[in-house]
Amino acid sequence: MGRSIEMPFWRAITVYRVASLAYAALVLAGAGGYQRPVIGWLVIGVMALWTAATAFAYSVARSRTLLVIDMLVTLGCLLASPYVQGADAGPAGVMPVPATWIGGPVLAWAVYGGRRAGVLAAVLLSVADLWLRGARGFDLSVPLNGAVLLILAGAVVGHVARLTEQAEERLQRAVELEAAGRERQRLARGIHDSVLQVLALVQRRGLEIGGEAAELGRLAGEQEAALREMVRGEPVVPGYEGAGLVDVGALLRRHGSTAVTVSTPATPVLLPAGRAREVAAAVGAALDNVRRHCGEDTRAWVLAEEGPGSVTVTIRDDGPGIPAGRLAEAEAEGRLGVAQSIRGRVAGLGGTACFISVPGQGTEVELTVPTAG
Amino acid sequence: MVVDDHPMWRDSVARDLEEARYEVVATTGEGRQALRIAAAVRPDVVILDLRLPDLSGVEVARGLAACLPAPRVLVLSASAEQEDVLEAVKAGASGYLVKSASREEFLDAVRRTAEGEPVFTPGLAGLVLGEYRRLAVQTSPDDDGPRLTDRETEVLRLVAKGLSYKQIAERLVLSHRTVQNHVQNTLNKLQLHNRVDLVRYAIERGLDEG
Repeated sequence: MGRSIEMPFWRAITVYRVASLAYAALVLAGAGGYQRPVIGWLVIGVMALWTAATAFAYSVARSRTLLVIDMLVTLGCLLASPYVQGADAGPAGVMPVPATWIGGPVLAWAVYGGRRAGVLAAVLLSVADLWLRGARGFDLSVPLNGAVLLILAGAVVGHVARLTEQAEERLQRAVELEAAGRERQRLARGIHDSVLQVLALVQRRGLEIGGEAAELGRLAGEQEAALREMVRGEPVVPGYEGAGLVDVGALLRRHGSTAVTVSTPATPVLLPAGRAREVAAAVGAALDNVRRHCGEDTRAWVLAEEGPGSVTVTIRDDGPGIPAGRLAEAEAEGRLGVAQSIRGRVAGLGGTACFISVPGQGTEVELTVPTAG
Repeated sequence: MVVDDHPMWRDSVARDLEEARYEVVATTGEGRQALRIAAAVRPDVVILDLRLPDLSGVEVARGLAACLPAPRVLVLSASAEQEDVLEAVKAGASGYLVKSASREEFLDAVRRTAEGEPVFTPGLAGLVLGEYRRLAVQTSPDDDGPRLTDRETEVLRLVAKGLSYKQIAERLVLSHRTVQNHVQNTLNKLQLHNRVDLVRYAIERGLDEG
């Protein structure tokens, strides 16, 4: 068991021993007519010494030997009782000199060895106690209260001590895993960075050489964009997980590729998770549309801006553009395509979508969505 | 001068520059060394990677801006965080290019940097727009924080949407030169504000300690 968790148990046992020692002394002082009270005080003295010894010994070095000695000393004190009490000792129910002090080793065994050790110690002491009280033939008429309580204490304390130990172990493992994870992340950042550099270099050189190398370069470029986004990590912003807010900028940056440039502010653009996903989906639809209508090689730009109470995302392509009125025409004819999936999503969020096409400068779709619905 | 911790990249960039008849006065992979060398060889242009083993790229950009005369800095980075890019630009870098840019784009960016013209990729324009927005929200209306004019905002948004200066000039019916000036102004204001902030901070610290 980990030291940190175990120590409070041992301190509690010491407190118990001291308190029950005081109780035993009171009982002896109050009892009259004992045969040899001097030996009784002698026993109390031994108990006091042993209490001090265990308080020190258990906090420094715990071992089986110490537990066995603890048990023997306690049994000795218990078995000395008849000599002290003389005629008073017997089945009449007078408490032996150590009184409740005999619980000490039971607790110690339970904390050290768990439930079974605790019960074993309790049984040993109970048998000795019952034997003292004259139950020499194991007469079941002698009240068993004390014995039952002692065994119960051994079992329960042993059980709790084990549970605590397991909890401590799990906590320790979780802490180790977390530290390992952090270290791995730190290493990964460095590795990713050098992989990114190599991919970018392959892309650049490949395009310069041309031919098959250009194809390799293009592939490297795609992988570079994918990896770069992965390194940038999750759209969940530290500190905002609980509020259900995510960074739309990070979601949009996932659309980035060799053909698509995504521009966002350096600080997170926060939107409730559901709205953020809808916006990202609308942008995805707009980009799909660009690819479908203007070809794979068409370049596109995505710009995210935060305004007062709203977020504006603009998607522009450098395709041929939509002739004036074509979009309204298509909408009127019921061939909604772009308009429906984009306008629909944005309108569902209480926002607006606006299409602009300037001849020779491609098409722009501007989506403005309020930050709260 | 080329500062990049990746030897293959360093060589590749240096070779491209030499083929394009630029003189590469120094190459290094470490930030502190970069600052020492820059002070000695006084390069006109520094091509700076933001990921270096000892200093952060932002710190190097800040250190270079303190050189006299300050070299022009073009940030060329693979996986740099958005915040780092913005900080480097605020610290005085006048352009940013991702490493996946083609050789032509790169050489064009170097040429413009050497001429003192900012290299505004759409990504950088988005970052700068976001930063002005952040400053506007953060500071009170009567504060002297930097503001964009409506025209500047318009130009910057078009840059962020991937339009070339020529296309912007056509759309807004401006001269190419005017578009360039607007872009330059947005960057100058941000860098000036950053310097003023640093000075203010230094004075406050100085007064407290004195």
